[in-house]
Amino acid sequence: MTSTFSSSNSSASSAQRASDGRASLAARIAEKFGAANVIADAAPLAAYEVDGMQPAAAVKVGSGAEIAELLQFASAEKLAVIPSGGRTKLGIGAPPARYDVALDVSRMNKVLAYEPRDLTLGLEPGVRIAELWGVLACEKQWLPLIAPFAERATIGGVLATDSASPLRHAYGGPRDFTLGMEFVTGYGAAAKSGGRVVKNVSGYDMHKLLIGSLGTLAVITRANFKTFPFPPARDVFVAHFENSVAAMEFCHAVQRSALEPRLVEVISPEAAKLISAGANAPLPLSSNGWSVALGVAAHERVVERHARELAALATQTKASNFVRLGGEDQSEILNPICAFPTHVLAADPGAAIFRIAALPGVMAALAERLAAVAAGVQLEHATVLRPHGLLFFAVMNPPAAAPDAARLARAAQEIFRAAEDLGAKARIEWAPTELKRAVNVWGEARPDFQLMRRVKQIFDPENILSPGRFAGGI
Amino acid sequence: MRGALRTKPHMERKIIRELEKLLGRDAVLSSREDLLMYEYDGSVEEAKPDCAVFPRTTAEVVSIVKLATRHGVPIVGRGAGTGLSGGALAVQGGVIVVFSRMNRILEIDAENMRAVVQPGVVNLDVTRAVEHLGLYYAPDPSSQKSCTIGGNVSENAGGPHTLANGVTTNHVTGLELVLMSGEVVRVGGRTCETPGYDLTGLMVGSEGTLAIVTEITLRLSRKPEAVKTLLAVYNDVADAPETVADMTGRAITPAACEMLDGWTLRAVEAFVHAGFPLDSGAVLLIEVEGLAEAVEEQAAVIAEICKAHNAREVRVARDAAERELLWKGRKNAFGAVGRFSPSYYVQDAVIPRTKLPETLRRIEEIGKKYKFQIGNIFHAGDGNLHPIILFDQRDPEQFKRAVEASGEIMRHCIDAGGALTGEHGVGMEKNELMPLMFSNADLDLMQRVRAAFNPDGMLNPGKVLPIGKGCKEVRIPPQGAAAYPTL
Repeated sequence: MTSTFSSSNSSASSAQRASDGRASLAARIAEKFGAANVIADAAPLAAYEVDGMQPAAAVKVGSGAEIAELLQFASAEKLAVIPSGGRTKLGIGAPPARYDVALDVSRMNKVLAYEPRDLTLGLEPGVRIAELWGVLACEKQWLPLIAPFAERATIGGVLATDSASPLRHAYGGPRDFTLGMEFVTGYGAAAKSGGRVVKNVSGYDMHKLLIGSLGTLAVITRANFKTFPFPPARDVFVAHFENSVAAMEFCHAVQRSALEPRLVEVISPEAAKLISAGANAPLPLSSNGWSVALGVAAHERVVERHARELAALATQTKASNFVRLGGEDQSEILNPICAFPTHVLAADPGAAIFRIAALPGVMAALAERLAAVAAGVQLEHATVLRPHGLLFFAVMNPPAAAPDAARLARAAQEIFRAAEDLGAKARIEWAPTELKRAVNVWGEARPDFQLMRRVKQIFDPENILSPGRFAGGI
Repeated sequence: MRGALRTKPHMERKIIRELEKLLGRDAVLSSREDLLMYEYDGSVEEAKPDCAVFPRTTAEVVSIVKLATRHGVPIVGRGAGTGLSGGALAVQGGVIVVFSRMNRILEIDAENMRAVVQPGVVNLDVTRAVEHLGLYYAPDPSSQKSCTIGGNVSENAGGPHTLANGVTTNHVTGLELVLMSGEVVRVGGRTCETPGYDLTGLMVGSEGTLAIVTEITLRLSRKPEAVKTLLAVYNDVADAPETVADMTGRAITPAACEMLDGWTLRAVEAFVHAGFPLDSGAVLLIEVEGLAEAVEEQAAVIAEICKAHNAREVRVARDAAERELLWKGRKNAFGAVGRFSPSYYVQDAVIPRTKLPETLRRIEEIGKKYKFQIGNIFHAGDGNLHPIILFDQRDPEQFKRAVEASGEIMRHCIDAGGALTGEHGVGMEKNELMPLMFSNADLDLMQRVRAAFNPDGMLNPGKVLPIGKGCKEVRIPPQGAAAYPTL
């Protein structure tokens, strides 16, 4: 009893010391960076929580110079810093090893340069995706990024998480249309790579490393993009099929044809139910079969040709239904599909969502195998796949059942194995912290992780940026 | 010409004998005469290697790297030697690793639109191998009949059609690398993404200074249904770039949009007989591709825009033969120019495309100032200029002036918000100009990245980064070191 008492007394005092330490750290940060832009109270700090960990302070930085100062301070003091913007994707990645300071770039939200005639754009990291559309639409241009949580998500966060846009097949991902970046390294140096023109091979493409790096290498202070003219006409078509094999057969037929849909989303009946439940209006998705939604953006005559030929291909591949939505309905269906993770997490906050890169040829087999894995451990599942090579697979606890982390962990191991068997590369994008502590969200170790650790050591030698969240224990 | 910069001693004969033992005598060249062609590439630079080796396998590359590292000898990879920035030249001597025997297409996966190739495969051979499947490899440098994929990957090569289709990095999904430690590591893969840092993206365009690439996975593209090639002819050179800017305003991104000024098109016409009107001030060669309806519509709008900007004639190629002839004119332009001058210096710079008119005027002024004819042929659609300075390399004074004129063009482009190189690479040609575009902190970080992969600086030394102050080799402290790495 005595020892228990003294031990709990000692842990209480060490907790007290830790709490005092954090309070004093918050006070020092407030003194250094100005109280107006430093959050130190527990209640508002909850918004910066990552996997149950709260920072001692959040700093709402206003410039690259402030970021450099903060990171130099953090490097000297060995404080772990997690950068954030709209805070919509802080749940992505492994649980952080440490977390002392949240670096909030949401105040850095200016469009720094936009030259429509050059098709170039320069943004601060805190520019919100939804606001960006307004700026670009004035010039009938756009960035081909449809990101989940677009109302709150920022461009810095979309880059740092390499948010998977359904338009990637047609336009490429952020790595393909990001021209250059300015950033502050972990050791607090302001640097840049790439440029501001649409073509450039001067120096190492270091900014490509930052895309998808979850803020483990540097904090982005400016990103330059190539913009795209907005096509004059657009439409969405939806075809329904009995099963995933038939749906994929239709997708392959489209891929072999001359047609050029700008996005193709294949939705399982379970995913359709979740997406429809989360949408404001009824959607033409099948709740007992698989749906394929195709977006076309081009000249009017090209859209008309797609309408004719897609309908013919749907008939040939035995679609049970084929719907043309009409141009105005586009966002009403595309936004909910893109927000698939939101709908899954709304239905089951304890769900895990896998992001799996696979070759088109194995997509149908992979989808079937994953469904069998989930069914085998009595978990619910839902799939949205992009036939050019990306699949999102959600595993959920059955309704009314208590969350079962052990079962989810078992399923996760099998999903990683199934992906590997088919030459696919899986990672868990969303999962409850408990699962992320039990299963490595980045999958098995690979030989190239040692190269990644070398890169990390260059950019962030003190290991202060988002420690522990990335692949290879970075 | 820059061989004088060499600071490394010549390789000992015994190392060459060791290489012969490893690879066989037929895979090593070391006599002065045999090495002559490896002293040059497509640039104005030259540098003498100590030997050239011709590996057949990744294992042989590993053994070369280990041997060279053991002896502290520089290693430089080389494809076909068509590069335009001295990237494949052994500026510090050492071993040139020539990939002409690693030239197999290892796999074609039509269903998933991938090809796995060795670095010595010629660019156009990839397309030739897959065109019967309705596929092609999109990046098309003008030298595509001879340049290799390995060289393309090192330099992140572009080409006329990269305007719509992107450059090499957009079409490479995975690489096999031989590191300076001799380890073989794969980065990326066949899938469209691989969890972790984008090491493939870092390697493509690193100009052979971070690792040796021994296998490349390429993304193939589907051949477009229809193609239309237009030739717009202008009396006044200033009208052509205005046309280009206006096309963007009308939401048109052609597959290619090339410009030749009057002097250049006359030089080309005399050589290729492509049908460029000799009395014109400039021509735009514009190509649109895609679905037939889109191509027709875009071609009509482009013709309208050209005419609105005073094109005196807009000609549409009637068939594949005529289209090919027009492209032959464009792609053989450098060769055509070579008939008019003992030497020519092809520049490669990028500017925002709206700055084309003023930049063309500035290039003309610079030509007058330094008393050189400067021809202009470039990828107008993306603002990637290739001014060609005609001079006589045998005259050191002229060479000096040509380099100065080139530097002045580069400075103008950077001041206009542009870039040092759009597709030819920095190499040994522009490494000392890098501070025009990048700060000390930028270059310091690039140097650290290089040191992480190439710690002794023996892999393609003297390229990309300035050799001068602030960029000597950096040693990276071990993991968890307390202090920041310092220069």
